[in-house]
Amino acid sequence: MVELADVGFRVGRTDILSGVSAAFRPGRFNVILGPNGAGKSTLLRIAAGLLTPSAGAVRYAGHPVEDLDRETLARARAVLSQDVQLVFPLSVEDVVLMGRYPHYGRVPTARDRRIVEGALEVVDLTARRRQPYPTLSGGERQKVQLARVLAQIWSDDRSPGPKVLFLDEPTSNLDVHYQIHILDVARGLLAGDCTVVAVLHDLNAAFEYGDAFYVLEGGRLVETADSAERISAGLLERVFRVHARRAVDPGGGGWYWRFSR
Amino acid sequence: MLNRLTFRQTYLLLAALLAAAVLLSAGVGAFSFSPATLWRYGAQELGLAARDPADLLGRNVFFDLRLPRVLLSGLTGAILGVSGTLMQGLFRNPIVEPGLAGTSAGASLGAAAVFVLGNTTMRVLSPLGTFAVPACAFIGGFAATLIVYRVSSTFGKVNVFTLLLAGIAVNAVCNAGTGFLSYVARDPQARNITFWNLGTFTTAEWHGVTLVGVVFLICLAWALRQGKALNALMLGEDEAAALGIDPRRLIVRLIVLNTLMVAVDAAMVGVVAFIGLVVPHFLRMAKSSDYDFLIPASALFGAALMEIIDVAARLVIPPAELPIGILTAIIGAPVFLWMLLRQQARSDPAGG
Repeated sequence: MVELADVGFRVGRTDILSGVSAAFRPGRFNVILGPNGAGKSTLLRIAAGLLTPSAGAVRYAGHPVEDLDRETLARARAVLSQDVQLVFPLSVEDVVLMGRYPHYGRVPTARDRRIVEGALEVVDLTARRRQPYPTLSGGERQKVQLARVLAQIWSDDRSPGPKVLFLDEPTSNLDVHYQIHILDVARGLLAGDCTVVAVLHDLNAAFEYGDAFYVLEGGRLVETADSAERISAGLLERVFRVHARRAVDPGGGGWYWRFSR
Repeated sequence: MLNRLTFRQTYLLLAALLAAAVLLSAGVGAFSFSPATLWRYGAQELGLAARDPADLLGRNVFFDLRLPRVLLSGLTGAILGVSGTLMQGLFRNPIVEPGLAGTSAGASLGAAAVFVLGNTTMRVLSPLGTFAVPACAFIGGFAATLIVYRVSSTFGKVNVFTLLLAGIAVNAVCNAGTGFLSYVARDPQARNITFWNLGTFTTAEWHGVTLVGVVFLICLAWALRQGKALNALMLGEDEAAALGIDPRRLIVRLIVLNTLMVAVDAAMVGVVAFIGLVVPHFLRMAKSSDYDFLIPASALFGAALMEIIDVAARLVIPPAELPIGILTAIIGAPVFLWMLLRQQARSDPAGG
């Protein structure tokens, strides 16, 4: 479990975040929602231990994150952000192998190689393992990055225990095919008791995949909900400055949001 | 080209190339030494053969002049190759080399300051003795590189245009400083500065070679362990941090060690352009961008290339010699342009 206790972050005299407390539980898809500039990515980076908060504490299974050394933390949590560029032509396989860096010394073991294979299989890129990363399309590149973070927090009997995956707008510039693929794979990790924490911009995707919601506005947590049903139209209208209407999905019996200005 | 070889086979090939280049460089020049003669000297030196008085002059020329020169040019090539690789890793950009990032110009300014202001500042610098030039070159190179890096990187991303502009600005300031110093300098000092900006191996002697060699080995031993970290840094500072690397510490160490070897070498040799750019670029195109491969390979290939260029410098206008920096620019720049064209023809976006 990843806990945030009264976390604040300020740059100069501006509060980017203040008084944010949250508990991201294992086996859940936690979604951070909010308009641009609400502090979502900052919150995610603080929770991932990449950024030190100016106030409050971040705890992993009860341990303050600053007490964990970088490599130990890297074996327990991974971060996938959007559109990672690589100026040099490494192969797909080499990029995925980077996920194993915190696990081996100078030379990857046979187990590391097996895990890379496994991760490539999950994202259907086994056949393109030797292709240079820069020649892939944006969607394929993101699949490679997904395979890299999967390899990083791969669970097996040698490396059990709760893992955490952070997703920072992982699908923002991808078409719907890749969006669904990436969120499905992330959702699949929940069965292994992984904690997923995601910043998502597509609200309908967020409500479809998420099972705990944290709504940020101006650096403050204005709503937490453990079910999409509990997010009201009024909240969305105020926070995102839109008109929101819940519509019934004629095909499935579920519902979705329609937004207008 | 080297695609079908394993990394180990590629190292062997490059090592063989280096060995051939060293033999050539040891043998060719105003005095020629055949491989048989070199073999005899080696046997005599190791006490395996009696010393022949007839060899005295040849031996003196070889051991006092030729051998230090061969070692210094090899070390210079290796240092520039590795340095180019490290800097391209640091800036995440294939166009960076010590010249562009301000390291060379900053080091130049530091050294020129010692040449020109040496007499007045000697009281301060005297404890440093013969290390005064390398030390001041290091300070100048380090400051310049750090400024360029700081200005061009925001939130962990290096902006190429800002990098180029910052590099141009810092280079301009450093060159203006060096120019000013050579303007106010008296003749022998001014000539020292000119030698600096063109680069030469003619002044190679054992003290310098030893210093450069020791510094290079220390830096190389460190660099060889940074392959994974540099690979991870390709993804960006945040991604590297998420993989358990401390990017801030890595970057400061990269700049310190890289500047250390470039400045110490440049204090002996002067500014040698383009090697740091061409060597990693060639290896990337021919084989791989994996830093675990690039660092050792660029040391071997850089050394071999520099030996060959040094041979050319001795042969082009005998009995005189071309300053090495002129030759590397004349050969390096067109080769680099050709590589760029080839890359564009393949429309490989990897060129950045």
